[in-house]
Amino acid sequence: MELTIQEFCKCLDMPLNTIERWIRQGRIPVKRVENKCIFNDTALRKWAEEHNLHYHPPGEMQTENSSEKLVTLTEAVESGGIYYDISGDTVEEVLAAAVWRMESIESEEDRKVLYNSLIAREQMMSTGVGNGVAIPHPRTPLDREGIPTQIATFFLEKPVDYRAVDRKPVYVLFILVSKTSKQHLHVLSRISYCLRDNVFLQMLSETPDSQTLKGKIREFDAILNGSG
Amino acid sequence: MQMQMLHIFRNTPLGRETLLQSAYFCKQNDILPVIYIPKFVKFLMYFENDVVQVDLDGSYLREPDTAEKHAREIVTEMGLEDPRFLEPKHFTASTLPDIPVNFDFMSCPRSITDLSSKIGLGYIGPRVRRIVQSARFPVLIPSSVYKPWKSLAVMFGGSANALRTLRLGIKLSRISGLPLDVFTQEGKRKKKDYEQIIQDEGLAPEMDKYVRNWRIFEKEPFKVNLYEIPHDALILIGAFGHGLVKELLFGNTMEIVQTVCPNSMLIVGPNYRGSI
Amino acid sequence: MDDRLLLIFLGAVVGIFSGIAAVGLNRGLIAMSESFAGLHNYWWVFAVPGIGAALSSVFLEKFMKEGAGHGVPEVIYSVSRHGGLLRLRSAFSRLISSCVTIGSGGSAGPEAPVVISGASIGSNIARSFSLNERQRIALVGCGSAGALAAIFNAPITGLVFTIEIILGEWSALTIVPIAVASVAGAQVSRLLQGNQIAFTHLRFDVDITTTLAAVGLAVITAAVSIALTLALRHSHRVSGKIMLPLWLRAFTGGCLVGLIGLMLPEVLGEGYHTIQKMVEGTFTQGLGLVLLLVAAKIIATSFTLGWGGSGGIFAPCLVIGSFTGLMYHRLVDFLWPGLSWVNEGCFALLGMAGLVSGILQAPLTGMFLIIEITGGYETILPLILVSALSTTMCHAWEPASFYFKDLMERGHYLRPRTDAKVLADMSIDELVEKDCMTVSENMLLGDFIKVVQQSHRNYFPVVDKETGELKGMIHLDDIRPYLFDPLLYETVFLEQIMQTDIETVDIHEELSDVLDKMDVRGLFSMPVVANKRFVGMISKATLLDRYRHELIVQTQH
Repeated sequence: MELTIQEFCKCLDMPLNTIERWIRQGRIPVKRVENKCIFNDTALRKWAEEHNLHYHPPGEMQTENSSEKLVTLTEAVESGGIYYDISGDTVEEVLAAAVWRMESIESEEDRKVLYNSLIAREQMMSTGVGNGVAIPHPRTPLDREGIPTQIATFFLEKPVDYRAVDRKPVYVLFILVSKTSKQHLHVLSRISYCLRDNVFLQMLSETPDSQTLKGKIREFDAILNGSG
Repeated sequence: MQMQMLHIFRNTPLGRETLLQSAYFCKQNDILPVIYIPKFVKFLMYFENDVVQVDLDGSYLREPDTAEKHAREIVTEMGLEDPRFLEPKHFTASTLPDIPVNFDFMSCPRSITDLSSKIGLGYIGPRVRRIVQSARFPVLIPSSVYKPWKSLAVMFGGSANALRTLRLGIKLSRISGLPLDVFTQEGKRKKKDYEQIIQDEGLAPEMDKYVRNWRIFEKEPFKVNLYEIPHDALILIGAFGHGLVKELLFGNTMEIVQTVCPNSMLIVGPNYRGSI
Repeated sequence: MDDRLLLIFLGAVVGIFSGIAAVGLNRGLIAMSESFAGLHNYWWVFAVPGIGAALSSVFLEKFMKEGAGHGVPEVIYSVSRHGGLLRLRSAFSRLISSCVTIGSGGSAGPEAPVVISGASIGSNIARSFSLNERQRIALVGCGSAGALAAIFNAPITGLVFTIEIILGEWSALTIVPIAVASVAGAQVSRLLQGNQIAFTHLRFDVDITTTLAAVGLAVITAAVSIALTLALRHSHRVSGKIMLPLWLRAFTGGCLVGLIGLMLPEVLGEGYHTIQKMVEGTFTQGLGLVLLLVAAKIIATSFTLGWGGSGGIFAPCLVIGSFTGLMYHRLVDFLWPGLSWVNEGCFALLGMAGLVSGILQAPLTGMFLIIEITGGYETILPLILVSALSTTMCHAWEPASFYFKDLMERGHYLRPRTDAKVLADMSIDELVEKDCMTVSENMLLGDFIKVVQQSHRNYFPVVDKETGELKGMIHLDDIRPYLFDPLLYETVFLEQIMQTDIETVDIHEELSDVLDKMDVRGLFSMPVVANKRFVGMISKATLLDRYRHELIVQTQH
């Protein structure tokens, strides 16, 4: 195989001057001609393994970790959907009603898993964050095939006592489902930013139609992306 | 990181001229001068695949008391910050220091070993040649009297080393803002061959951007054509890596240029690896 | 061609050339001693060693501009620090100068000169083939082994000396070509000068008495080794203080040796004839004289080597060693008259082993050398005992052996697979983390907190935007108290928070010094500067990571 020395350093994830020195000292099975490194792929792979180094030739560079894309609020709300008139008198009832209305989940089993983990979370401590809003979510990321990271919005038929921090009854739920903890924290931090905004809270209490709500969310996204 | 240039200081009027040129070069290209004031008449330079022993001309050791002061004065008067003074850390023997070689440039008079009276056109000492051959940095050979240059002149003959020289020329022109001229002698290769080489190397956009004038000499002999090089230009030229026999047979552009032109020269050796 | 085969082939070539160099020096010495043989009737003969030493020092310093000592430390230095690069001139300079010194009667040995010549031949052959450092070091070893094998006709000694002293590393990759070179060198010597054992002797009847007596001998050889080391060092120091030109100093030293030689001619030259006599048991002088000879040889050697003559320590060690062994034997005879035991030649032989092991602190070299140059395998038991004990005692007195003393003092004692070697190989340049976010001193705290959000580091260097100069550092701990105080966001500049009293590292510093600095101040990371400008950070975490990689790469072949 033949690579430029810069590419070669990336394969081994070592600094250029270390690799140059190793080649000069004959510690690595690589020949150098001008700016090119010439080596046998299998021999080098074996060498790297013996010496506790990671070797990723250009074709098989790992990409999934570094480039995990964080979703925006708009995307999350879009994939979660907005639902109205959820009925129920207790936390369990409204959550059950909500989970079974979610269109983004297809299998019955997934619904059960989600419902159970939401309830488990609520039993530890209420997710009612005050001002009539709750953000139910599973404690650990729910990484299941076909369920994207999402915020499903539910407006309740009538306010429910949710054991919220400010003891006010809850009238809107944002069910937060995420694939990874990183996504979870990201979305949670964004939604809590929105909930600090009094205009937004006012708007929620008036049960806006889905277009108005999405429009407002898009505005928030613009602000958050602009600053960060 | 800031580039660095090694200069071996000689505390004599001749040494002052060479340091002035080095300082000028540093000023132009934002380089930190690293000055070595020799305390022993010999030193070693361990390159990647060669060790070069430099036996200095005795005048390098003269007046050690004022040397540092003088060097500092010359450098700061050029408007540069204080230079770094090199203290050898390793010794092969107690009077034989090792001078590090991890610099970006080095400044060397035409001869470093022989008496200064020998220094003249057409003569580059054997040690200086070995340094050029082995070093990863280009070597600046200043003219014997300080003369600021106002442009850069690259001698381009199409070889791999000439391409490296051209890249270095473009880099220095970009940093210093000095105009860059390229000079080529037609021979077996014609103008379009040269243009093809530039194309293949992907240097065309840089050529358009930085090169003021590409002068291709059609007439022979090369020696006479060299009059076209501006008197106030720094000449950049590649020293060729091939052996003695080949050079005797085909001649060597560097030898012709260094015999004819009294300009300051920046010689790029076969081990120089630089980017734009 | 496969790299290993190429190396073995080149090793053989290097062995042959260094063997030829060694034989050449040997021939030169024989020729010199023959031509001076007729002079010993003249009164001025004492000046001959002086002239020889003066000539050799002028040749080495003015003509060859060598500027280095007797050679072996230079080879070790270049192997440990510069991948075995040696100057081409070293391939012959020491050969000629030591030939002049020893041939004219100076008390020194031809082994160190042939070792550096062979090493330099190996290094320069490696250079012309553009081999990498590891292969070059192997060839340097080949040269030294080949030369030593040739001059003593002792292939195992060549191999063992190279591994034990020059390389300090036992690895199959290097041993194979070195062994081949040893064979080649010894073979060249046998072809050109015949297969002769240097010191032939009668069969010794070694019994338990000899083995027990060897313990006592070891004590004496250790004491003599220490005396020789001290004498050499002292004469070096004295000669360094004398304000004479180089050649005159060497001349004076040589003349003093010559004067000693007028009375005791055994001290002159490399002294192999004397050794031969002693090993054969035909050296008849009494105990008093032998004692005198030990002292005289020590003094002569230190005048020769310490004052500017050129040569090695090996041969004088052998001579002094055999005198010592003889002395010990006669002393025991004197104390227990009528004790029936082994011939005194055997003790001359054991004494040599004791002294070589003691001076070089290399027991294996001592043992194999003596076995090979005398062919006396029957003495192996007391031999091992003397070598091992002598080495141990000398090591207890002074851990740095003759060859390593200078290197240790200058911090160049870098044996492979040691901490010092790993640290010396890595440079700060390789460890600097350059992905730090720098901030300006005029930045507001509020803006800084935004920078903190983006960064994944705890340290933030404050840098002058114009010059790049490092002004101070901010650690997350420094802003923690103000973090939740939005009032300060728009009123406080970083200049007011940053720490200005910071320890920095220059990019050119040695890594071991940097670690010392970190340890002394209890720091885990430090900013790296080049001429006051900020370059990056160096942290112990990265260092450990890289150190480990480096250690694995250096030790697993």
